[in-house]
Formats: sequence, structure tokens, C-alpha cells
Amino acid sequence: MNSALAIATTVAGIAILKSTPLIYAALGGVISENAGVVNIGLEGMMAGGAFAAVLASYYTHSLPAAVIAGAFVGGALALVLAYFAIALRANQIIVGMALNVFAVGAAALLLTVLFGQPGTSPEVRSFSSIASSSGPGIAATLHYALVWMALGLVLCAHVILYRTRVGLHLRAVGEQPRAAAVAGIDVMKIRYVATVLGGVLAGLGGAYLSVGEVDLYSDGMVAGRGFIALAAVIFGKWTPLGSFGACLFFGLFSSLQIALQRATVPAQLLEMLPYALTIVALAGFIGRSRPPASDGVPYEP
Amino acid sequence: MRRTWPKHKQAVEGLQMRRAVVFFAVLALAGCTTQGQHGAGGPAGRRTGIKLGMVTDVGGLGDKSFNDSANRGLQIAKAKDGAIVTVLQSRSVTDYEPNLSALATEGNALIFAIGFLMHDSLDSVAPRFPRTHFAIVDSIVDRPNVTSITFKEEESSFLAGALAGLVTKKGAVGFLGGIQSPLIEKFQAGFTAGVKSTDPAARVIVKYTGSFEDVGAGKEYATLLFRDADIVYAAAGKCGLGVIDEVKSLPRGDYVIGVDSDQDGLAPGKVLTSALKRVDNAVVQLADDAAHGHPPGGHIALGLKQGGVALTDFAYTKNVLPPGAVATLAAYRSAIIGGRFSVPSTLKELSAFNPPHLSARH
Repeated sequence: MNSALAIATTVAGIAILKSTPLIYAALGGVISENAGVVNIGLEGMMAGGAFAAVLASYYTHSLPAAVIAGAFVGGALALVLAYFAIALRANQIIVGMALNVFAVGAAALLLTVLFGQPGTSPEVRSFSSIASSSGPGIAATLHYALVWMALGLVLCAHVILYRTRVGLHLRAVGEQPRAAAVAGIDVMKIRYVATVLGGVLAGLGGAYLSVGEVDLYSDGMVAGRGFIALAAVIFGKWTPLGSFGACLFFGLFSSLQIALQRATVPAQLLEMLPYALTIVALAGFIGRSRPPASDGVPYEP
Repeated sequence: MRRTWPKHKQAVEGLQMRRAVVFFAVLALAGCTTQGQHGAGGPAGRRTGIKLGMVTDVGGLGDKSFNDSANRGLQIAKAKDGAIVTVLQSRSVTDYEPNLSALATEGNALIFAIGFLMHDSLDSVAPRFPRTHFAIVDSIVDRPNVTSITFKEEESSFLAGALAGLVTKKGAVGFLGGIQSPLIEKFQAGFTAGVKSTDPAARVIVKYTGSFEDVGAGKEYATLLFRDADIVYAAAGKCGLGVIDEVKSLPRGDYVIGVDSDQDGLAPGKVLTSALKRVDNAVVQLADDAAHGHPPGGHIALGLKQGGVALTDFAYTKNVLPPGAVATLAAYRSAIIGGRFSVPSTLKELSAFNPPHLSARH
């Protein structure tokens, strides 16, 4: 019994580790999509954030600087998406994909130029390294600072989206931009801010991956998490709390997959389940999952 | 020979760097999926030697493991023989054929295909370039202009397992593989057989991450494995870096066993040993053959006997080994080299494996 409880604790712990980067990225997706901009570039923004965080930690040895750098680069990449998607009214999916390829390629280039070793960065000061160098207690809290911050941000996003005037404006812009414009809302400005904010959040998710969970950046380390976050946005019906739940659910399944894996059972089966469920959700079997009416549609005043 | 990694900046020749910058920038902008590292064989104007090419598998350079080991071999050939070296990295399996063809078209005399994933691509590219010689690592391609190099990873893994059996205090050790395949199974079978030889009662917990790149997943699997086990052997490419990061924050007495390259220095004192796969030696040897005549062709299997696989020499962990451990390992090693027993290389052979009884056992 005791060992069953211990296993459950471990599984829950891994589930939280697994969920956290997804929560950041999905929250970013929720905010930009509620304003009407689809962000396929989450994956690249995570990669950019992960790399920037390692870079900042390498040069400054400061974790706050690392986290800020991750957020900044995520936001900067999102600004590019915003410019093309909002000002130039380009196809948002194509710009997002281009950003994914660009961010991963740029990180690979900079790894070679700055560190002279392609593929993987040197190890840097990270949240886990401060946990192992100081005692338990405070250290454990610090170690999970980025996890706590994710929870806080989910609540903030929920309150802002559904309990404030700004949130109402943001959702109006995503649903009926023309009506919102008539009501005196600056559609372009809100879309810009929401998209950049989404990128900042994805960048934080990337920073968590590189300096929060491990202590280096490595090519391919985002490993599709940006796309999983997009699935979580849909599964969570474009709401902060719903996506948060979806991320926890995905994390729990990956974690169970790790724990229950046996040589005889194909590991991929459990791992596939969350995505199969996302398709089910999209097909409308688990209640209606409807995107904001003008999600992905460029606004032409 | 032991080499350590440059932890920080490596000296990069200005020309090489500028070329790499331009190359990368163009690729990043074009949305292309390959990236290259071109290096000239010395100052411009100097007579340069043989042209060598290499295509990495999707693990890529920087895995501090298999691809890096092959690249080290090329860099040695470059320094020694003045070879001109071109490395193309593959982002996905669809890059293998274009990369191999590109290097052949550029007139490289010998092209290394690093990894069994490239088997099919090389099998279709090699006949199209009959005057180019290819070498594939970890797979056998039966073409006249291909040399196939495989390693007996089960032998070094056996020694790693035997060591784990001697060191474990919890009576449980972990094996973390990357993508399940016959190759990684060799590591698993050899390791398990080794553990069973020195500690028949010990449990071997086996997990696969399903990836060679996802560092975070490596860490998460390690969290679970270290719950029950105190030693984890990671044969999972870059995922192994996550396992090593995890062990840094664990109390003394928990260890990782590194793989392919010497990973002992990545967490000094916490990496018990590394099961080396001397891809670098094989690459140097073959490059040398190509420069002075002709590569042998056919199939070469490199084990403990040929120096193709080995354990590192416990530079940071000698003091934690139980007394007699080094002697026991030496006895197993010479028994394997002497052919006194054969190490299982598949799970099927593993189930029929009986631990050998050696006189040097304590």
C-alpha cells in the first residue's frame, strides 16, 4: 500500500514536470487565439526561449536573467508573426511554420558560432543545479519556481480574460473584430499585444525546458511540445483553465506511459491516447469545441 | 587514448566560421532541413589530402555520444593526414539520401554514413556512385563499394552490467534505451547478462524513451528509474544527458553509466564509467586506409578484442568501486576476448544465457 502511494507520488511528480512547459505554451496559444491569431509557431518560440535562456545563464550566471531572456526571445519571435499576420495579413499558418524552422535553425547556427560545438550547449547554471547545491526546503521551492509561476499565470489569464474589460475586448476582437472596431476597440493593437504575450509565454515554456528541467540546450529538445500545446488549446476549448486541465491530462498520460511501460506492451499506445482524444474532442463528441469565430482570419479594416 | 571535450569555446578558424555562418544562415532562411559544417584542411594554399564526408543521423552532432565520436575520428584524420572534411547533419530520415548524394557529387573519396537508420538510403545511393567508397556504421550494406562497420556493443555493455551488479546496493539497476531496435537491444541484452553474472538476484528495470533527442524525457525517465534503482545505464543518445543531469541532484551512491563517448566528466564521480564505442578509431583507421590505397570493403565487427568497444578507466570513481571489482572486470574481459563464453546480443539469446563461472570471481 505504502509503495503504491509512493509510486503515485512519483507519477504525479513526473506528470507535473511534463505538463509545465505545455501549460506555458498552451496559455500563450489561448491568449493569441482568443484575439484571433493562430500561433503554429509555438514550437519555434519554445526553442528560441530555451536557447536564449541557456545563453543568458551562460553569460550572466543569473537565473532571473535566463528566464527574462527566454520570455524576451519568445516575444520577439511572436512580434515577427504579428507583423506578418496582422499588418501584412499573411497566412498565419505559413508564417508560424516558417518561424518554427527559422528558430530551430537559428539556434543551431548560434550554438556553433558561440560555443563552437554544434548540437548541444555547455551545461549552465540552472534551477536544478541550485537545488542540488543548497539544502532542501527553500531549494525545492526555487527549483519549482517556474512550475508555481505557471499555475499563477493560468489563474491570471483566466481572471483577465473573463473578469476584466481588457479581456472582454480581447475576446471581442477574436470573435467579431469588425463589431469590436465599431465599438471603438483598437483591433490591431489588441492583436499585436495578445500575439506577443503568447510568444512571451511560449518562450517561458522553453526556458523551463532548458534551464528549469535540465541545464543545457540541445537541438530537437522541444520535441514537438509546441504542437502538443496546440492540441491542448483545442482540447481545452480555447480557455485558460480548460487548456491547463488538458496539459495536466497529457502530462499525466505521458507519465503513466513511463511508469507502466513494459517490454510487452507497446509504449506508443498510451502515449497516443491523449491525441486520439483531441481528435475526438474536435469531432465534437466531448461537448462542443468551437474556436473563436475569427480565429486565424486576418482583419482588414 | 582519452580525450576530453572543450567545455567552452573551441577555436574556430575564421574562414571556417564565416563559411559556416553563411551556410547556416542560408539554410535557416530557406527552411532547409540540413545543416553543414565545412572545414578546410589547413591554411589556404597548402596541399590538402583526401576528401572525406560524413552524414550524421538524426541525433546530430553534439550528442556527446555516437555522432560526436565519429566526428572526432574525422577531426583526427584532418589533423593527421590533412584531409578535407565535410559533415552534413540530418534533421530527419528524409535527409539521408540527399545528404549522401550531395557528398558523393562533391567528389568525396570516402563517405561515412553514421547510423543504422541510413541503411536503406545508402543501399540505394551506393550503386549510383560506383567510384565513391562509402562506409556505414552499425549496419551491414552488401555493396562492393561499401565497408560495413559494426560494434559488439553487447560486450562493453556486459562489462558495464557486471560492474553495476558489483556496485549496486539496492539490488536494482536500470536500463534506459532510446528507440527500441535490434541495435539498442544489443546494449540491453549485454548489460542484463552482465548484471546477472555478478549479482544474480538483482533486478534490471528496462525503459525506452522512444527518442534519441528529448533531453527532458531522459530526465523524467531517470526520475522514475532512480526511485528503485541506484545505477542507470542510458543507451538513449541525447536523452542520456537528461539522465546525467538528474543524477547530479541525487545523493551519493546513485550513478549513471555513460555510453558511446567518454561521459565520465559530465558529472564527475556520478558517472561510474562509460561504455565506449570507438567509432572514432574505426573512422580514423578507415580514413587512413582510404588515404594510403583502398578501404577494405566488406563487413568488420569490432569488439573488446579489436579495441572497438571498451569501458573507461574510472578516472573519477575508483574510490567507490568495491575491492576486487577491477580484477573481476578484467577476468570477464579476458574471458570474452578468449572466447570462453559469448555475450548475448539479442533478448532471445539473453533468455538462454547462463552466467559464466570464472575463477577470478570472489
